[in-house]
Amino acid sequence: MLKVENLQVYYGGIHALRGVNINVEQGQIVSIIGANGAGKSTFLNALSGIIRPKEGKISFKGKSLPQIPYKIVAAGISQVPEGRLVFANLTVKDNLMMGAYLRKDKHGIEKDLGKVFELFPRMAERVDQPAGTLSGGEQQMLAIGRGLMSNPDLILLDEPSLGLAPLLVKTIFEIIKDIKKLNKTILLVEQNAYKALSIADKAYVLEQGRIVKTGTGSELIKDPSIQEAYLGKTLKSYRSND
Amino acid sequence: MTAFMQQIINGLSIGSVYALMAVGYSLVYSIMNFSNFAHGGVIMMGAYIGFFLLTAFKLPFLIAFGLAGVGTGVLALVIERIAYSPLRKRNAPFLYFIISAMGASIFLENIVVATIGPTFKTYPRIFSPEPIAVGNLSIGRLDLIMCVISTISLAALIYVIEKTKVGTAIRATAYSVRASALMGVNTDQIIMIVFGLGGLLGGIAGVLFGMKYTVYPQIGFITMKSFIAAVFGGLGSLPGAVIGSILLGIIETLTSGYISSQYRDLIAFALLIFILIVRPIGLMGKTTEDKA
Repeated sequence: MLKVENLQVYYGGIHALRGVNINVEQGQIVSIIGANGAGKSTFLNALSGIIRPKEGKISFKGKSLPQIPYKIVAAGISQVPEGRLVFANLTVKDNLMMGAYLRKDKHGIEKDLGKVFELFPRMAERVDQPAGTLSGGEQQMLAIGRGLMSNPDLILLDEPSLGLAPLLVKTIFEIIKDIKKLNKTILLVEQNAYKALSIADKAYVLEQGRIVKTGTGSELIKDPSIQEAYLGKTLKSYRSND
Repeated sequence: MTAFMQQIINGLSIGSVYALMAVGYSLVYSIMNFSNFAHGGVIMMGAYIGFFLLTAFKLPFLIAFGLAGVGTGVLALVIERIAYSPLRKRNAPFLYFIISAMGASIFLENIVVATIGPTFKTYPRIFSPEPIAVGNLSIGRLDLIMCVISTISLAALIYVIEKTKVGTAIRATAYSVRASALMGVNTDQIIMIVFGLGGLLGGIAGVLFGMKYTVYPQIGFITMKSFIAAVFGGLGSLPGAVIGSILLGIIETLTSGYISSQYRDLIAFALLIFILIVRPIGLMGKTTEDKA
């Protein structure tokens, strides 16, 4: 569904992505894990057209992906950005409607609004409240709901668990699995490697702008070098802290 | 008391025209975070367009009004395309935008001096100078017209911003250009709409201002007072711009009435400095945290 070949991105003089290759199949959850500054957000922003890559090919559903953000959304890719970036000055409802900005099918928008409220009942309760008054977890839910409102085929999630309490992190990952059931493909970027790997059909490890490892989520969880670098020394000790 | 009420009414009238100008500064600031000093030049051009439509073409008042607004709306768009759009594409620092805005402003002023001339022009008399008596108060017909046209224009703007889909997108883009782009908003188009709206209202304000006073190339500098009003109210906030403008209008007329009209601008600019010291974000300004 999404095929990225030799993606090269520069930030001024910094070579942020050094030839990234990624393949996402329809209906999968694909996770990219990596440390701070590995280039994870840069990668998603290059996909969304926020950053223009210097080189590389991105094809989506068999066609070359446009490079302008609103055309990318129209093509069926939406991003839930890191730090949520909900419109604090707009109501919950207006935030969700902004997600559906490019859509004209009133009936379909209503239907998807219903789905979002089903997924996040709390959003239905707070529909007229300014988004800035929501808690961090609620803002994350709103950001995900907003991302779904464009009815994307592929949804890019940038660090959805960042800054949330452990119980909420668990909820968010349950929701990601629910989104998969809605027949969406998910590309997830996370620092919470254990959670990201455990729900992934396929995963990539990004280090200093390069993909250094790939495999299924369960393969990578068992990989000793991954355990050491990303999951704490042993899986057991990580789990006891969970 | 009557004299005081009279000053308040005059203040409301001029304040409402400042508000029309100030929202143009505020709209652009809310999205692009820089003060578009070319807006004064746009307002000045509006005053000239209205003047020529009324004198040389002898068009009816309302048509001249509308055309002046359309003309300045287009002019504001052209300025955006030439002076700002290339800078935006290169992610230039905000200082460059301000310098570019000043350049555009000086250009507009000088092109008028060179082609039309530096002299004052007086609008033809359209409304009878006979004021309307309301109890003890007398309201100038022009003052009333200024108030009515400004209020209608501002109400229309607020309707667009608060109630329409494009308006929601403008508010969203003001909060975060990036998040808005990720929602599928063509942010380039939103920026153009904002310049167009600001120019339209600025042109209308220019005609009103020209009718109240006179028209001359440096009128754009005087409209800087509406910028003060926008800062006073809180740059980037539309209600702030309106409230700040009305307050400035009232402060000005009270100064003229009770102290001396020579102190009017002095007090206006002193007020700006005072506000910047005491409350830099203005009455209803957005804080930098909001923008993060």
